Amino acid sequence: MRGRPWVAALTLGLSIIVAAVPLMGADSPGTPDGYALLAEASRLVQEERLAEAVAVLRKIPAPAPGEDAGLFVRSRIDAAKILLGLGDLDGASASCHEVLALLPSNLEAKNLLNEIRDARTPRWVKFLRDMKTYLPTLLRATGMTLLLVLATMLISPVAGLAIALGRISRMRVVSGVFWCYIWVFRGTPLLLQLFFIYYGLPSLGVTLEPLTAAILGLGLNYSAYLAEIIRGAIESIDAGQMEAAKALGMTYWQAMRRIIIPQTYRRLVPPVGNEFIALIKDTALVSTIAMVELMRAANQIYSATFNVFILFQAAIVYLVLTSFFTVAFRRLEDALGVYEIR
Amino acid sequence: MIELRGIVKRYGRLVALDHVDLSIAEGERIVIIGPSGSGKTTLLRTINFLETIDEGEILFDGRPAGYRQDRKGRLVLEKQRVICALRSQIGMVFQHFHLFPHMTVLENVMEGPVTVKRTPREEARALALDLIGKVGLMDKKDVYPAFLSGGQKQRVAIARALAMRPRLMLFDEPTSALDPELVGEVFTAIKALAAEGMTMVIVTHQMGFAREMADRVIFMDNARFIYEGSPVEVFSGEMANPRVKAFLESVL
Ligand SMILES: Nc1ncnc2c1ncn2[C@@H]1O[C@H](COP(=O)(O)OP(=O)(O)OP(=O)(O)O)[C@@H](O)[C@H]1O
Ligand SMILES: [Mg+2]
Repeated sequence: MRGRPWVAALTLGLSIIVAAVPLMGADSPGTPDGYALLAEASRLVQEERLAEAVAVLRKIPAPAPGEDAGLFVRSRIDAAKILLGLGDLDGASASCHEVLALLPSNLEAKNLLNEIRDARTPRWVKFLRDMKTYLPTLLRATGMTLLLVLATMLISPVAGLAIALGRISRMRVVSGVFWCYIWVFRGTPLLLQLFFIYYGLPSLGVTLEPLTAAILGLGLNYSAYLAEIIRGAIESIDAGQMEAAKALGMTYWQAMRRIIIPQTYRRLVPPVGNEFIALIKDTALVSTIAMVELMRAANQIYSATFNVFILFQAAIVYLVLTSFFTVAFRRLEDALGVYEIR
Repeated sequence: MIELRGIVKRYGRLVALDHVDLSIAEGERIVIIGPSGSGKTTLLRTINFLETIDEGEILFDGRPAGYRQDRKGRLVLEKQRVICALRSQIGMVFQHFHLFPHMTVLENVMEGPVTVKRTPREEARALALDLIGKVGLMDKKDVYPAFLSGGQKQRVAIARALAMRPRLMLFDEPTSALDPELVGEVFTAIKALAAEGMTMVIVTHQMGFAREMADRVIFMDNARFIYEGSPVEVFSGEMANPRVKAFLESVL
């Protein structure tokens, strides 16, 4: 009977009724014949002889006017449940209608009819229906994901540059502090950092909105990664450039700002682009700190509908985002390379 | 104008400059020759503080410049602002050009005045165009360095240094990285500069050029000045100093 919960439920329901028979006494208004049939059906269900069980249940006659309808209703409802499980939707529906003809407001029958109607609807119709219901949620969630991505894309290069410059500082303390920063944020999981910011900081007296916590977490983490990339790019610029700038009389910062850093832009685009593609996917992690972004919304909708397509749909949105940024970074790289021979 | 006294420069245990004295007079053209590793580049770099000295002093117009002593009596560079002000009076041309690749020719030449001297862009532009014209690259003014030949790059580098209106120009083997057929155009640019009376110190391995340009020739070997004299004395073929003689024979 494994994998057929309805059979188990049904068996249990029938057994309870059968067990109740002796208590009701021999002179109860139901037909004693009917109880025997119900017991028979219960046995057949247990033996998984379902079609036969339905046949037996159907033998229970409609009650005469004024007679108690309980046994009859039970039998038709049970028959409908078994038929629904067997995929005989017409039979199940007919069985429900027998009940409703007698008791037009019977809830169980109505619910079953709804279930039957649901089973009749093609998958794609259900998908479209779910889509219509959940599209606004999904769009809002996509917007949130995009907001997280863009915010991090704005924050992390600026902060990353500052950290990189601190890291290459000749002042030991400064460079040490930034080394530690990079060490911590690259050496621990982003998920842990998000948890710490959202769940851990409140115990230190700092409570943040989920959105603030998410942007802060992603920003801090990605700044550390970008800092190392930017530092590498700065150090890859020929030392002669700094010499030439100094020979003109430029200060260290003037040389950095005018000569060294601008030359890193082009070299930065491919590795930073890679990081940003990873970022788009990493935003899914903030679903763990009460942020409703794409991943979380897809998860919620899936839980409500058990519709696998919603997951595909989320996948497609992620793919559209990653593809868009891949192309954008490619273009940017070409645009920044005008001064190089290709 | 600029004077070096007893300059010592060490790299760890290696002595790159060993008590060097050099006095550069206004309008003078000094050519430094000597074998590889003798300290010529190091000497030029100490003049504009790209290299810090360990002993000695550097005087600008008779006054010590660029260094002060710390509590232990060691020489330390003055504050960046002071050094930058001194450097901006000295132009330097490198063996490998070191043009700014992300800027066009015009932008390269304008960069010094605009960023360092805060010259208004229009004024800097006019000055830069004038200098680009002088080194014969007007048709390349909007081109990026990657698209220039070596000789053209070096001429841009000269214009870039001149845009700061330096009192002294330092050339470190300006033609060593060039194909032989491109050497001439760079020499022409430097000669034009000499004709205007520019003070300069030139390190070169081109003896013909040294002979033509120099008021004074200095021969360096092993971190020291071995010989100083007029080009006539050095190149007359009657050199008495055996080291210099051997060197000249090897390069000529
Ligand atoms: N940054 C440095 N660190 C350590 N040693 C150095 C450094 N720069 C130069 N030297 C050493 O100092 C000595 C003088 O070098 P320098 O570059 O001044 O020679 P040079 O006369 O210019 O030679 P070349 O004709 O090959 O250019 C050499 O032995 C060189 O190896
Ligand atoms: Mg040299």
